[in-house]
Order: sequence, then structure tokens, then C-alpha cells
Amino acid sequence: MTDPAPAALVLERGEFRHQEKFGPGAVNRGAVLLECTWDGGVFESGVMLGGVFRSGTFRGGVFLGGVWLSGTWVAGDWEHGFGPDGAYRPRTDHP
Amino acid sequence: MRVVLASAHRYADLARLWYRFVARDLAPALRATGAGVEVVLFRDAAPDAFDPRHFPGATLLAPGPFARDFLEFYDAALQREGDVLFLLDADLFVLDGAWAASFLARFTDPSVAAVSLLRRTEHPGVYALLARSSAYRGLPAPALAPSYEGLGTAVPVNRQPGDCAAIALRSTGLEILDVPASEAEGRVSDFHGTTVIRASREVFGASLGPRFDALLSEKPYFAMGAYDNLLLGELHRAVFGAPFAPDANGVHLAGSATEESLRAALSRVSDRKALARFLAYADRSNRAAAGLFAKEGLPFAPPRLLPRPRAWGARAWGIARRVAGRPD
Repeated sequence: MTDPAPAALVLERGEFRHQEKFGPGAVNRGAVLLECTWDGGVFESGVMLGGVFRSGTFRGGVFLGGVWLSGTWVAGDWEHGFGPDGAYRPRTDHP
Repeated sequence: MRVVLASAHRYADLARLWYRFVARDLAPALRATGAGVEVVLFRDAAPDAFDPRHFPGATLLAPGPFARDFLEFYDAALQREGDVLFLLDADLFVLDGAWAASFLARFTDPSVAAVSLLRRTEHPGVYALLARSSAYRGLPAPALAPSYEGLGTAVPVNRQPGDCAAIALRSTGLEILDVPASEAEGRVSDFHGTTVIRASREVFGASLGPRFDALLSEKPYFAMGAYDNLLLGELHRAVFGAPFAPDANGVHLAGSATEESLRAALSRVSDRKALARFLAYADRSNRAAAGLFAKEGLPFAPPRLLPRPRAWGARAWGIARRVAGRPD
């Protein structure tokens, strides 16, 4: 049995990213992402502010105003956002 | 006719200021037309922060299954007993109540579905919208929610609250009257982004630390919201003798941006275009604030955030761009 591969990119508390794309190797541990695309990594904490969640796992943090296309919602605060059909999903109505 | 005047608020201090103008000017003017009026405030995030004594006569609602947040509240308000739903933004003040109330007469024309007193985007929105309740209730629910169209295409469209309803109603031949901005000038005081910057600081200010204040010089919308909070905060402090947008320690404006932090942020802006746009926006906000202060019988003096030569230089550059037909 082998240990899981280390994350290629760890975003930390205090970081602010704008209009960037993060892939499967990314882990968010507290950064604020404004209008970014999340595509495959693990969102542990921090804030997804607008932007698009394409794939990956949301384990904690705040989802606020973005579009959820696909992925796995485990835990976190769904403030509000939009589902894959474009429909509005209000506070607590997470995927 | 029965009018439901509805507004969603995240912050009790802004709501208190907003309600002062509604209770004194707008609601009486609506009632003077013979209409019954219910004023409904939705307390979006921290209902306990709203002291009911500050909102005499209003119906105070809190999030629940009927409306989990402020955007769902718009549709919930539509279901309240009434003929006209008057949606009014939290940072929008009607200075001339009689003028606004005069638009109720337009609903005698059955082809009128709504009257928009203020449009910020292509569609009427819900910033200051008098909506014929029966027409909007006839749309598929949620009628007023925002949405995305064309997700997965190259150009998805983000519909703002009320946009889809306006498109649907107009497609059936009903009218939504847009009051020209020139007519609303001086009768409506409109501020922008005042809640966004406060909510942003609340949600992620602590995790960003000093980086948050840097956003004021990078994101114009934050600087504009901060500036408008400066103006509203000055009025709030003069009228109620209490801090506005305080942080956990009660520091005036620290829950938005203090005058000092906004001044420091503007000093870091090196882009002349951005500075000129900010100053043009501030001039607009100053006119809006002057109307509010005048209503209260208070003198108004805009804060000076830039050294005079720098402000003059940026303004002159902005004017030159406009004269040359290149405003942006």
C-alpha cells in the first residue's frame, strides 16, 4: 500500500486568487478564489466566490455565488449558487 | 389597492436608515393615494441584530423554509396578499414619495405589468420595481430568481433577479415601464455595493487579513461600496449617534472600510483610468448623499480622499477621455 500522492498545489489561508483555473492536484486550505474554475481538486476550506466548480470534492469552506456543474459535495456552507441546469439554489440548498 | 413594500436587508444599521425614509416619506405617500400598505423587511443573515423598536409598523421576517435567503424572499413576498409588490433595494432611498406613489395610477391600465423606477442593467431588475402581483404570480415559480442560461456554451448569460420575469411578461405583450434616469434624478438616491463589501469582509476578511484592504485598490466595486458606506455612515452617525458598519470592536466603518483605509487604498491606485472612474462614481454618490442629508436638514461635505492636485488631474484626464469619445 502506498501513500497518496502529495498535492501539486496547496492554497493557503491569506491567499487571494482571481480568474484562475485549478486542476486535480490542487487543494484549498483557506484561500479565497474569486471567479475561478475548480476542476478536480479537493476544496477543504476557504471561499469559492463566484466562478465554476467543474469537478472535484468540496469538503469544507464557503460556496458563494458560483456555478456548480459537477463534483462531490461532502460538507461546507452553501451560501447560494447555481446548479448545472442554471437554476438558482438558495442558502443551504447544496448539491 | 393594497401595496406590499418589500426589502431584504443583511445589516440592521442600514435597514434602520432605510426604514426612516420609508416610514416618513414613502409609505405615507403611498397611503395618501388610498392604497393600503404593508412594509415587509426580510432580515437576511442575523435577524436578532434588528431591534423591532427601530421598525415600528413594519413586518419583520427571518429566513425559514418559505425563504431561505434574500433572493428567495422576493418570490415569497410576491405571495403576500396585495395587488402591487413594490420591491426596493436596501441601499436605495426614495426622496420624493409622492412622485413614486404617482406610478400606482399606471396600474389602471391592464397592459401594465410593472413600473421600474431605476434600471441598472439591460433589464428592469428588482431595484425599485412596482410589480402587478397577479401578472408575476402567473409566471412559473420562482418568477424573480436569477439564473444562468446557456451553461456549457461559449457565452452563458447570467440573468439577474427579475430579468426572466421581465422577458416573459414582455413577450406576452404586457408592458414594463422604465422610468427614465433623468426623471428619477434627485428623486431617488441610489448607492451600490454597500452590502457586498460588508458581507465580503464578514465572510473572508479574517482569512485574508491585510490582503483584504488591498482589494480596495484592485476591485473598483469594493472601493465604490466602501465609499458609499462612508457617506451613509456619516449620515447614520449624525442621525442616530451610533457607529455604522462597525467591526466586532464597534469601530465605525471597520466592517466595511474606514476613511483612512480607503484613502490609503486610493493612494496605491496608479491606473489613471481606474482613478477617473472612481471619482466619477464618487461624484454621483455625492449627489445621492446630498439628497439624503438635505432631507434630514443636515449639511453635507464629501470626504476628501485624494490630494487635490491628484484628484484634479484624474478628473481632467477623465473629462478629456469623454470629450474624445473614449470614456472607458
